Amino acid sequence: MTTAFLRKLFNPLLSGYGALFMLFLYAPVILVVVYSFNSNPVNLMIWDHFTFDWYINLFGGDTPLKDDISYVDSTDQLLAALGTSLTVAALATITATVLGTSTAVAMARYRFRMQGFYRLLLFVPMVMPDIVLGIALLIFFVGAGIHLGVISIVIGHCTFLTSYVFIVVSARLAGMNPLIESASADLGANEWQTFRRVTLPLILPGVIGGALLSFIISMDDLVITYFISGVDSTTLPVFIMGLIRRGIKPEINAIATLMLVFSIVIASAGIYFKSRNAD
Amino acid sequence: MKSFSRQQKQLVLLLAPATLFLGIFFIGPLLIMAVYSFLEPGLYGGVEWNFYHWNYGRVLGWADGFYEEFDLVYLEILARSAGLALATTLLTLLVCYPAAFWISRMSTRGKALCLFLITLPFFSSMIIRLYAWILILRDSGFANQILDALGLISEPLGLMYSSTAVVIGMIYIFVPFMFLPLYSSVEKIDGKLIQASQDLGAAPLTTFRKVILPLTLPGVIAGSVLVFIPSLGNFVVPSMLGGAKVVMIGNLVEQQFLYARNWPFGATLSMLMIVSMLVIVSFYLFKVMKNQPQS
Repeated sequence: MTTAFLRKLFNPLLSGYGALFMLFLYAPVILVVVYSFNSNPVNLMIWDHFTFDWYINLFGGDTPLKDDISYVDSTDQLLAALGTSLTVAALATITATVLGTSTAVAMARYRFRMQGFYRLLLFVPMVMPDIVLGIALLIFFVGAGIHLGVISIVIGHCTFLTSYVFIVVSARLAGMNPLIESASADLGANEWQTFRRVTLPLILPGVIGGALLSFIISMDDLVITYFISGVDSTTLPVFIMGLIRRGIKPEINAIATLMLVFSIVIASAGIYFKSRNAD
Repeated sequence: MKSFSRQQKQLVLLLAPATLFLGIFFIGPLLIMAVYSFLEPGLYGGVEWNFYHWNYGRVLGWADGFYEEFDLVYLEILARSAGLALATTLLTLLVCYPAAFWISRMSTRGKALCLFLITLPFFSSMIIRLYAWILILRDSGFANQILDALGLISEPLGLMYSSTAVVIGMIYIFVPFMFLPLYSSVEKIDGKLIQASQDLGAAPLTTFRKVILPLTLPGVIAGSVLVFIPSLGNFVVPSMLGGAKVVMIGNLVEQQFLYARNWPFGATLSMLMIVSMLVIVSFYLFKVMKNQPQS
């Protein structure tokens, strides 16, 4: 009797819990977005009225609120950080995509003795605590006399992005019929032609997926970048952490909202790609 | 024979870029860091190339007070970090487990939508997600405003700068890491097995303990390891939400590198962090494996 009663109660309880779970995930973020339109400059969490002023301030516009409380005092710095982030993410994505894809192809299409070692080598960077990798790279760059800047950050990002590309492309390769490549060879194509005309087009969705993932992770990386960025090469997350550490100001809500929109767009694009090639 | 060597050449060509890159920029730096942890700190931030085990002695107890002084505080911080990471791992598991079941019972479309919604935060900036919790938890923040408006509190609860805040922040950040492996094993459970267990008269709790839990164990293990490791080494969450009050091992490493400029000691601390991670993770795996009922 109690069992039947419990079972009856179970499903609504589970759904209720699910709703709470989603609320936990999304309420904090939605709060930031909503309050980025709040005009109260003193207490961010007390609603005054709707305004776009923080966004206008952010891009160097003049608003009445600006005299009251201006925080992101130099829009230039913010834009420079954004520029650095985009440059780093683009360069790191290209490099990591080449490294990860070629390794994935090697692992999927050849049998060799060191395969276990390579699997480990590509797995460890993903589970390595980022602070350890960050300081190890810092010691390395300073010791080797490599200037801390865009190049050092790109190198740092590639050490772990390669693994992500490798995993995504490997998954794609595993789902592919190797006989197609044999057929191409039987029809007289050489290895390069087979790769270019057969293998690459088939794994392309995986490669693009891996590249998008790399791009997002690179744009978002905070810890490793924090240790190996120079004075003149602050990325957006590091810049924002600096802002938050100095104090909470309304403009940060606006920056946060813009960044959320940006990552949602890229993530949706990635998922769209994935679902499209599943058809 | 000729085609064999050609294949080998291709393989070398494919593997060379990543091998060189990771060899130089991943394995190399980690080895150098290990070496650094045994070097003597220089007077003004550099290093002296002498073998110097006192860095470890400072933390583990054999420093004699002449070269370096032993201070229990480092072990305390290490233990606190492990404790907070463990709490985060278990609570994240608790939060995600029912949710995984909830989603596994949905229609295909519902599943796809919910998985998308749960993965999405992983793609959005971590610092922004932490910032959201600062807005909620601080004294003039959302939580205190609501409680005040409801008349439940008369003065702000000191939610920020506490271990609670740090654990909440870490759970929030790491939910996708736990959820996805967990979900993939919950999803695979054959409903007939649960039905069979109930038909044979098992109470719901027994069914859970003897059937559901063992079947989802791979997901539980993978998720726990993926949450525990980044939690233990975390320094962003404690520095944002814990302030100066909750210092974790990651903050200590950051301090040594960026402020105290004692790089060898910083390297020592991160070596000890890695070792404790390996010890705790293997201990956990051992425990969990042992508790798994024989099938």
